[in-house]
Amino acid sequence: MSAVTPRVVTPRVDTPGADAPRVRVPSAAPARPSRGPARHRGLRVVRWTFLTVLGLYFLVPQLAMARFAFQNVPVVLLNASTLFSKWSASSLVDALSQAALWDAAKTSAMLAVLSVVLDLALLLPLAILAEIRAPRLRPVLSALTLLPWVIPPIALVVGVAATFRDVAPGFLTSTLSLVPFYAIWAMPFTYRALDSGLRAINARTLVEAARSLGASELTVLFRVIVPNLSASIVAASGLTAALVLGEFAFASLLLKNTLPTYLVNYQRDSPQAGMALALAVMVLTALALGAVVHMLRRRGLGMSTTGF
Amino acid sequence: MATIEMIGVRKTFGTTVALADLHLHVESGEMVCLLGPSGCGKTTALRLLAGFEQPDAGQILVDGEDVTHVSPRHRGFGMVFQDYSLFPNLTGRQNIAFGLKVRRKGAAEIAETVDRLLAVTRLEKHADKYPHQMSGGQRQRVALARAIATEPRLLLLDEPLSALDAQVREHLRDEIRRLQQEVGVTTVFVTHDQHEAMAVADRVAVMRDGLLEQIDPPRVLYSRPASQFVAGFVGTVNRLSAERTVDGGWFVLGAKVEAVGDTGSEPAAAPDATPVAGEKATADAAPKHAVVRPEQLHVNRAESGAGPVARLVALSFLGAFTRAVIEHPTEGLVTADVLGEAADGLAVGDAVAVSVRPGAGAVVLQ
Repeated sequence: MSAVTPRVVTPRVDTPGADAPRVRVPSAAPARPSRGPARHRGLRVVRWTFLTVLGLYFLVPQLAMARFAFQNVPVVLLNASTLFSKWSASSLVDALSQAALWDAAKTSAMLAVLSVVLDLALLLPLAILAEIRAPRLRPVLSALTLLPWVIPPIALVVGVAATFRDVAPGFLTSTLSLVPFYAIWAMPFTYRALDSGLRAINARTLVEAARSLGASELTVLFRVIVPNLSASIVAASGLTAALVLGEFAFASLLLKNTLPTYLVNYQRDSPQAGMALALAVMVLTALALGAVVHMLRRRGLGMSTTGF
Repeated sequence: MATIEMIGVRKTFGTTVALADLHLHVESGEMVCLLGPSGCGKTTALRLLAGFEQPDAGQILVDGEDVTHVSPRHRGFGMVFQDYSLFPNLTGRQNIAFGLKVRRKGAAEIAETVDRLLAVTRLEKHADKYPHQMSGGQRQRVALARAIATEPRLLLLDEPLSALDAQVREHLRDEIRRLQQEVGVTTVFVTHDQHEAMAVADRVAVMRDGLLEQIDPPRVLYSRPASQFVAGFVGTVNRLSAERTVDGGWFVLGAKVEAVGDTGSEPAAAPDATPVAGEKATADAAPKHAVVRPEQLHVNRAESGAGPVARLVALSFLGAFTRAVIEHPTEGLVTADVLGEAADGLAVGDAVAVSVRPGAGAVVLQ
């Protein structure tokens, strides 16, 4: 059988009425052509001014932090004339040589992984069920999952502590007690990422297609939904992890030693090294997020399908 | 292959009645198009057939077996969706194989079936592309191959062509029909495009407000529409006044015509008049309307005489014929098709005479 199909050009006989030939009307010329370019130039100036101001607002403090952290110059002498003198990474080396840092980092990493797992285990089935079985529940869920941002951490901690002190006295002493808090805290991000991902892949018709082909519920879930939702799952996990790695209030209130609480305490003792460490963490986080986005793009999954 | 029967099916969404009381019978191997404007219930009917919705009342039978409450998974139907609904994470080949894998067929059998379908749908070159790398037409062909790979008892097509551009649409439309006839699968095809329905279906079911208005082969639907709605939906029509002659014949546009449809009762003979065949009756004929297709009308130039005349108000050249719109003194706007060069002598503004062409077939009375 020939693979090449001769292209059959059917003369189009327009059946009366339905699609009468459409006349393309040339679009009207711009009303005031003379003012067009001037307005564009004005807009461009505004745009660049805005971007420059925003950039400076962001960069100046970073530069100040970097100078404070990495220049062996007394703070009072940090001015324009000393901009290029005595740069050194010694403070960062100091900071990285603290064993307590690595303990705290390990704790935080573990908390991040567990929080991601718990969050996905709770919200992935919920978001899928809501999308496929009960779309009317979606606005309710989306409001409910915003609650963690309305309740301040102190209220959550006090409430939970009061409850658990009687029920399970050992619970709050464990570092792992942070995991449920973080899972709740990350809910708004995770739910939104999953929900918009489900809508972007048109999950409901995919499920219908799979079911009409004879797929069981589990096959639908693991062979159809999860693979196509991977961008959202990665985005949700990345955001949850970033949130956990930077969370201070819960850890501090529950007296746990995580990376953020360690950073605050350490900075109190050695301000310069603490600042160097904070900058390093920031750069690493930015690089990690960039890598995730890049990976998703290469798989043809823009961040747009994740809701962010 | 299977016969399909929907008996007294009713479906409401809240207070909206999507299907009032649908009776539909589809013969084995037949292709039936559900045609109607949006909101007429055609998609609901298809989703009920597929099992994605449950009817409030009524039954759905496949070869006499009641499948009303069988899950879509176990119905063994193939479905093609308007937005293709291919699995984005799978290649064309994997998409087609999906249903077979789910049914745990052997690898060799799957490969053989998929290759055959790829050849039939002329997709060999695109088999290993992902859906987002394919054109709309290719995606829909994959969707079609995926739906028939499992040898379904019934193939359901939900506006499968509406997302495609005109040329691809026509081509794929014919391809769907060819494939359907080759495989011989019973098919229900939902569309809102009357040309599509008329071109592919064995029978067209015109739906309106959740009810079946008429189900007939395309030719019958066109020449003998059961209602004004059907007539208007399957092409352009003129609704002209019809008057009864004393011998039971009908006058349209001042001449006697052949008429079918709801011709009513025989006129009562007027006691004090001698009926003359071919003459218009007077008082006893109830006012009637005749549905006349543009191609049944004849237009020629007329000398402007005394009294009101028909005037040509618009002409549009459509290739094989020219469509003329005529302002008629008593009938309002009348649309007529003038074939070939007969239109050359006509110009907008001309006084014209319009009549039903002799031998153009019967007009339909309502």
